Amino acid sequence: MDFWSITLQLFEGFKANCYLFGITLLGALPLGLIISFGSMSPFFPLKALCRTFVWIIRGTPLLLQLFVVYYIPPMITEGAFRIEDRMTAAVIAFIINYAAYFSEIYRGGIEGIPKGQYEAGYVLGMKKSQIFFKVVLLQVIKRIVAPMSNEIITLVKDTSLANFILVEDILKYANDFRVQGLIWPVFYTGAFFLLFCGLLTILFRFVERKLDFYKG
Amino acid sequence: MAFLEVKNIQKSFGKTEVLKNIGFSLEKGEVLAIIGSSGSGKTTLLRCINFLETPQKGVISVGGDVLFDGDDPSKKKDNEIRKNRLHFGMVFQQFNLFPQYTVFENLILAPKLLAKEKIKQNGDYMGASTYKEAVELINREAEQLLKKVGLTEKRDEYPCNLSGGQQQRVAIARALALNPDVLCFDEPTSALDPELTGEVLNVIRGLKSSDSTMIVVTHEISFARDVADKVIFMADGVIEEEGTPQQVIENPQSPRTQAFLSRFNQYSD
Ligand SMILES: Nc1ncnc2c1ncn2[C@@H]1O[C@H](COP(=O)(O)OP(=O)(O)O)[C@@H](O)[C@H]1O
Ligand SMILES: [Mg+2]
Repeated sequence: MDFWSITLQLFEGFKANCYLFGITLLGALPLGLIISFGSMSPFFPLKALCRTFVWIIRGTPLLLQLFVVYYIPPMITEGAFRIEDRMTAAVIAFIINYAAYFSEIYRGGIEGIPKGQYEAGYVLGMKKSQIFFKVVLLQVIKRIVAPMSNEIITLVKDTSLANFILVEDILKYANDFRVQGLIWPVFYTGAFFLLFCGLLTILFRFVERKLDFYKG
Repeated sequence: MAFLEVKNIQKSFGKTEVLKNIGFSLEKGEVLAIIGSSGSGKTTLLRCINFLETPQKGVISVGGDVLFDGDDPSKKKDNEIRKNRLHFGMVFQQFNLFPQYTVFENLILAPKLLAKEKIKQNGDYMGASTYKEAVELINREAEQLLKKVGLTEKRDEYPCNLSGGQQQRVAIARALALNPDVLCFDEPTSALDPELTGEVLNVIRGLKSSDSTMIVVTHEISFARDVADKVIFMADGVIEEEGTPQQVIENPQSPRTQAFLSRFNQYSD
């Protein structure tokens, strides 16, 4: 096995990590927004529900949540229901977990906007929706870019946890080499994660710079 | 009936009654100065007039139209309130400019949104019948307003690059861009360094004309004396004394007004 064919093999596995990363973002970004609105709701039961959810998800390990999604349904239904596809189980656990984290970032961003911004909009005869989209939204985005980048970069590395429910990700491929007596591909996987996170860092820095045209 | 009538305004937050039966009236073109120590309810009164707070009781009318009546729930609907707000403008102590927009964009944002809506509804915004015409009109007016507050050369700056005094002048121009019937100022110079208060007070002084009705909450007693047609001294949610500047500031009758003013006279004049 030469270097390039091992690289290609590992890349096959890394596709699973990329897939899990992409689908998690697609699901968790909007779901997190919904949860953040829930946790800011004046309707107490909804607010309590959302905040309890966030507390539980952020207070327990992602790995444990992964096991719960994959192993608990067949246990309590005595095998009648299980998520057949391991990747689907991983996607569900990851979306739930990251939606909770994202919701707190959104909430921080939205609650950080001074009340005066809304009031200035109101006295200028603007509608609630106009104030949100024309005045508040960009300010919220500017505030959350940095914490969001951190969380998203963590997600890249967290995808490797799916290996624990035997999703065939890059670590699974690396482990197959190890079993055959070839140890270095295990460490080589780090380069894939590094490269991906590097690209994301450049992207986020670009976005931050784009939003740097004003302060405050 | 006076141009602006505010009657029996009563406002409580929970158990604390902040405004106790406040009422006053103002003719078109008059300037009212409201003075009083901190916590007396001045901000709350302006916020009620701008519908940022809903009083439990009271009536507010402009030009004979009742805009708010505490006993009439139909006056408390969101859409109704939004329409009625346009009779009033508000300049905040903290400016509250929109940071991501340039000075000029701050001025035209709300008028453009309003023009779009009005033209869709009844094909007219201040004489313009298409949105394009309306935008031209709005832009022209915004340029004039910038000139009026002396900030033409700051047109394309972002608020973060302006001094506090300049920001407050932008906020004044922004409020004027919607041609409110009554313009309210809540301590417009209190957040400014002392050397910057003059430029803002001068702009406000320059607005005084036969058809600009203004309410100014201020601690600048000499400004109130020079510019106001009418002065109200508030204490603990009631109007303790009201009248012309000569009556209230030069020759106060109530001991509380006297005590309040003597504290100022120690430092100024
Ligand atoms: N949203 C609010 N909730 C509870 N109390 C308030 C609120 N706004 C103002 N108050 C109280 O109302 C009183 C008058 O406040 P304010 O109108 O700001 O006075 P001023 O502007 O004259 O300093 C103060 O005692 C203040 O604590
Ligand atoms: Mg105040």
